[in-house]
Amino acid sequence: MMTEKLARSAIQPKNPLLNVSRSANLPHVPGIRVGDYLFLSGMGPIDPRTGGRNHGPIAEQIRTTLNNIKHILEFAGSSLERVVRVHVVLADISHMDEMDRVYREFFPVNPPARTAWSMQLRFGNGCEIECVALVD
Amino acid sequence: MSLQREVIAPPLPGLDAGRSFDQQVSMVVRGGEFLFVSGLTAVDPKTGERMLGTTMSETHQILANLKLMLEAAGSSLDKVVKVNVLLHSMLEAPNINEVFSRCFPEPPPARTVCGARLPDGVRVMIECTALA
Repeated sequence: MMTEKLARSAIQPKNPLLNVSRSANLPHVPGIRVGDYLFLSGMGPIDPRTGGRNHGPIAEQIRTTLNNIKHILEFAGSSLERVVRVHVVLADISHMDEMDRVYREFFPVNPPARTAWSMQLRFGNGCEIECVALVD
Repeated sequence: MSLQREVIAPPLPGLDAGRSFDQQVSMVVRGGEFLFVSGLTAVDPKTGERMLGTTMSETHQILANLKLMLEAAGSSLDKVVKVNVLLHSMLEAPNINEVFSRCFPEPPPARTVCGARLPDGVRVMIECTALA
């Protein structure tokens, strides 16, 4: 089999306010493209208008986070329809059903593989979501 | 040409935990050359009912179900690249090793084990990435 070396590059959100790793000077990037795969960093409920955290009700936090992911994917030449795997981390396991209710709005048909669990999150975030997607 | 994305239905209805537990997930999704498997918990592959038990028994059931799902997708346990194991308690981490060495052929996949809060009182959740 012919092996081709896959190219690796960092991807950025179009909206710089969503580039938390840069604004907080953290040693990671919003995502990496390898070949035609996109690996996104964990995204939290960042308000795209201010760059601050949205700590409203969990439904709102999930919606904000998934909208941010949509934004990053689309600017990188992908979309929610091209997501293959999602990790959803919740601060509170009792939010699972509420998370799923909002999640359906974003992945209405043929949803990606998903693992959802709960553990401690930083900054008082109620959720953190990361994904792997295919470029269009 | 863009990489192909395909949702692969589990071979038995009980393995479709998304449907059994009314969660918006596909159990196995192929993306390009990889298969992505959702976080699995111990269920009866025929009925879909939970098989809550010990960490060892749940791990064994999950890996048996994973084998069925991978093989139905044209893959197998020896093509698993990376496994993430979520445990209700890290004190139980040693208990999964014996099951892993029994179920996975040599060399076993890369693995991460992490303590987590899991839904519905399950003790173990396992997800993986495999070659298609």
